[in-house]
Amino acid sequence: MDLSLLGHLFTPAVFLAAFAGVLIGIVVGAIPGLNGAVGISLMLPMTFAMPPQLGILLLGGIYMGCMYGGSITAILINVPGDVVAAPAAMEGYPLTRQGQARKALYYSIFSSMIGGTVGVLVMIFFTPPLARFALQFGPAEMFFVSLSGLIIVGALSGSIPKSAFAVLFGLLISTVGIDQIAGTDRFTFGENQLRSGISVVPVVLGLFCIAEMLSVLGRRETVEGGYRDQAIKRRTVLFDLMRHKMLLAKGSVIGTIIGLLPGVGTTLAVFMSYTEAKRSSKHPETFEKGNVEGIVAAESANNATVGSALVPLLALGVPGSPTTAIIAGALVVHGVILGPSLFQNRPDIAFVFIYGMLFTVVAMALIGAYGIKYFSYILRIRTAYIVPTVLVLSLFGAYSLRNSLFDVFVAIVIGILGALFRRVGIPPAPIIIGVVLGPLIETNLSRSMRIAEARSLSLPQYLFDSGLSWVLFGIVIVLLLIVIQMRRKMAATEG
Amino acid sequence: MKRTLALSLITPLAFTATGVLAESNYPNQDITIIVPYSAGGSGDTVSRIIADPLSDELGVDVNVVNRPGAGGEVGITEMANADPDGYTVGVFGYPDNFVVENTRDVDFNSDDDLEFLAQFDSTPMGIFAKPNAAYDDLDSLREYASDNPNALVIGESGALGLLSALAFESNLDVELTEIRYDGGGDLMNAILGEHIDLASTSSMSHDPIVDGGGTPIAFAAAERMDMFPDVPTMKELGVDQVMEVGRVMVVPTGVPDEVRDTLTDALDAISTNEEMIDTFLEADLPYNYLGYDDINEKVETSNKQFQEVIDNNADQF
Repeated sequence: MDLSLLGHLFTPAVFLAAFAGVLIGIVVGAIPGLNGAVGISLMLPMTFAMPPQLGILLLGGIYMGCMYGGSITAILINVPGDVVAAPAAMEGYPLTRQGQARKALYYSIFSSMIGGTVGVLVMIFFTPPLARFALQFGPAEMFFVSLSGLIIVGALSGSIPKSAFAVLFGLLISTVGIDQIAGTDRFTFGENQLRSGISVVPVVLGLFCIAEMLSVLGRRETVEGGYRDQAIKRRTVLFDLMRHKMLLAKGSVIGTIIGLLPGVGTTLAVFMSYTEAKRSSKHPETFEKGNVEGIVAAESANNATVGSALVPLLALGVPGSPTTAIIAGALVVHGVILGPSLFQNRPDIAFVFIYGMLFTVVAMALIGAYGIKYFSYILRIRTAYIVPTVLVLSLFGAYSLRNSLFDVFVAIVIGILGALFRRVGIPPAPIIIGVVLGPLIETNLSRSMRIAEARSLSLPQYLFDSGLSWVLFGIVIVLLLIVIQMRRKMAATEG
Repeated sequence: MKRTLALSLITPLAFTATGVLAESNYPNQDITIIVPYSAGGSGDTVSRIIADPLSDELGVDVNVVNRPGAGGEVGITEMANADPDGYTVGVFGYPDNFVVENTRDVDFNSDDDLEFLAQFDSTPMGIFAKPNAAYDDLDSLREYASDNPNALVIGESGALGLLSALAFESNLDVELTEIRYDGGGDLMNAILGEHIDLASTSSMSHDPIVDGGGTPIAFAAAERMDMFPDVPTMKELGVDQVMEVGRVMVVPTGVPDEVRDTLTDALDAISTNEEMIDTFLEADLPYNYLGYDDINEKVETSNKQFQEVIDNNADQF
C-alpha cells in the first residue's frame, strides 16, 4: 500500500463514517425485521451526497453493526433482531433468565469483534486467491453445501419427528411462488402476491418475534418485568474467552468460508458453527439452556461473513448476497468500477474502504463493550410495554421489506402458527433453515440436471465431476455421522 | 407554516368542482417514482439519478420507492393501478413490462394502462463466452454450436436475457441449453467459474466478465457503443438483432394532457443537464435520452420484434 493512502485513512472523517455506520447497523440489527439489507437501502440515498470512500464505509459499517445488533435483543428479550442472531437467543435468553444477561452480552460482543476482525483481515490479505476459490463453486458444489446445511437440523435439539416436521414445513414454504427453472406457478392459488414467493424475513419475524410475544403474554413470571442482572467484569469475560480459542477460530473460519460462497448467506454459517460448538462441547446437554459456547460460535461466525462476503465483490465485481449487491450498487453510483481493476483505478477508495472496515470492528467493539450497561436497561422495562413495541416493530419490519401489506399478513399468520408450534414443542430454527436452503438445493440440483444433459453426462457423473465436489460430499457424510453420534449421546444422557 | 396547512386543507375543497384549476396548479405535492426493482440495481440507480434534477425542475420533492418482486410485475402493476394525477410515475427497464405481460397472466396491460414519457439510457444485451472457451468470435461460436447441438449451456438472468438468447439461437440457427439465474451476480459467478459456456446479459457486465478472462462475442446494439468500441454489433456481423434495455418513465393512462406536458417538458429540460449526464456515465449507464415521440415510436417497433421471438418459442414462456 502506498504510504500516502495512510493519510486518507487516518482521518477523523473516516473513523466517524465507520462509527456512524456501525451505530446505525446495531440499531437496525436490533430492531426485529430490519436487517442489514434494509438498513443499507435506507441509508443508500444519503451516501450519494458523501465522498465515495466515506459513503461506502458507512454502508460497510451498517453491514458489520447489524450482524452484531441482532444479538442484543435476542439475548435480552428472546427476540433476535435478525435470523443470524437466532442461536444468540437460543443460548443467551436462558442466561438472561438466570440473571446473567450481561455475561451473555459480553460474550456476544467480544466474539463478534474477533470474528469480524478475522473476516476483514482475510479480505485485506487474501482477496484475489479466495475470489478464485469461490468461483470453483458451481451448481454441483453448491448443491452439496446446501445439503450439508439441512443435516445440521439434526444436531439441534427437538425430537426427530418434530425437527423433521419443522424442516419440511420450512422447505414447503420455500416452494411457494414461481419456480425459478420452469417458470410455473406453485402453491400460489391464483394469488398474485404469492407468485414472488414467501420471503424469509416475514417468516423469521413471525416465528421468532411475533410468536415469542404471543407466548410471553401467557407467562406470569414476566409480567413484573425485569430479571435480576448480575454485574460481571469485562476483563473476566475476556480472560474466559481465551479458553475458547479453538471455538473462536472455528467460528471465524466457518463464517469466512461460507461468507465467500455466493448466494449461501449467513444463516448457514451461523448454524454450522453453532453445531460444531455443540459437537465439540464437553457439556452438549446444556445447549439451549444457556451455554456461552453457542453464543461464541454463532456470533464469531456471523461477523466473520462480513469481510469475506465482500471478497468476490471487490475482486470480481460479483455480489454474493443481497446486502453486498446493494453495496455494489452504491459503488457503481459513486463511479467505482468493481473487479480486478478497482485497486489500480481507484486505490484511494478501495484502500480506505477495506482498511476502514477494520475501524468498523473497533467501533463495534467500543459501542458494544461500553453500551452493554445501557442495553440491559431493556430488562427493566415492563413486559406490558415490550410486547406491543416488538409487535409493532415486527409488523413494520415485515412491511418495510417490499412495502407490502401481504408480507405483514404472512408474518402474522406464521406468528400464530409459531406460537402453536411452541406449545407442542416444534422448534423454530429448523423451519428457518428449510426456508433458506430449500431454493438453494432446488435450483442447484435442477441446474445440475440441465447442464449434465447438455454435456451428455448422467447426473451423478456431473455432480462428482470435480475434486471439490468429492470433498464437499465427504463433508456431508461426515456431518451426517457426527449428527447421528450426537443424537445417540443425547439419547444416552437423557435415558 | 400555518398558512400552508390551511391552504392544503382548503385547496381540495375549493377545486374539486373545477378540476382544471387544480391541474394547472400541478405539481403542488411530492411526486413518487415507483421502481419495480430492489435498491441498488440499475433501474433503481437511474431513478435516483434523475430524481434530484427533476425535483429542482418541478419545485417539489421527488421520492423513489422500491416495489420489487416477480421480475418487475409487482411494481409495474402498481404503476398501472396508480391514480392518474401525475403524482405517481414509474421508472423501469423496458421491455420488462412487455415480457411479463406476454409470458404470464398479469393484472395490467401496457397498451391500455401505461403511457410512456421518456427514455433515459439504453443498455444493449450481449453474448459473452467463458474464459478459455474454444470459440472467441461469432463465426467460431456458430461453427462449434452447429457441430454440437444443445451442448453449449447459455446462462441468462431476467426475461430479456432469455429473449436475447432465444433470438440469438434462431438468428444463428443453432441450439443451446438455456439456464436461468436469479441475478446478474450469480450469472457472472457461473460464467467466470466456467460452470456455463455462454452468458446472455447486458453490456453492463462487460468489465467484470472481461477482467475475469471472458470474451464478449457481440452486442445486440443499434451501433457500436462509445464505451466499448472494440465489441462488434450483431448487425455488423450479419445478425439482425437489436435488443436493448431502455430505462423509461411512465405514467398510468388517463393523466390529463396539461399534467403530462408539464412532466415531459421537465424531462426534456433536464435531459441536457451536464451534471446528470456525467452521473449516468460514471455509473456506467449509456445515456441515450428519447423524448415523448421517440420513445413511443421505439416501443412500437420493439414490441413487434419481441412478439416474434415469444411466438416462436411459446414452450419457453
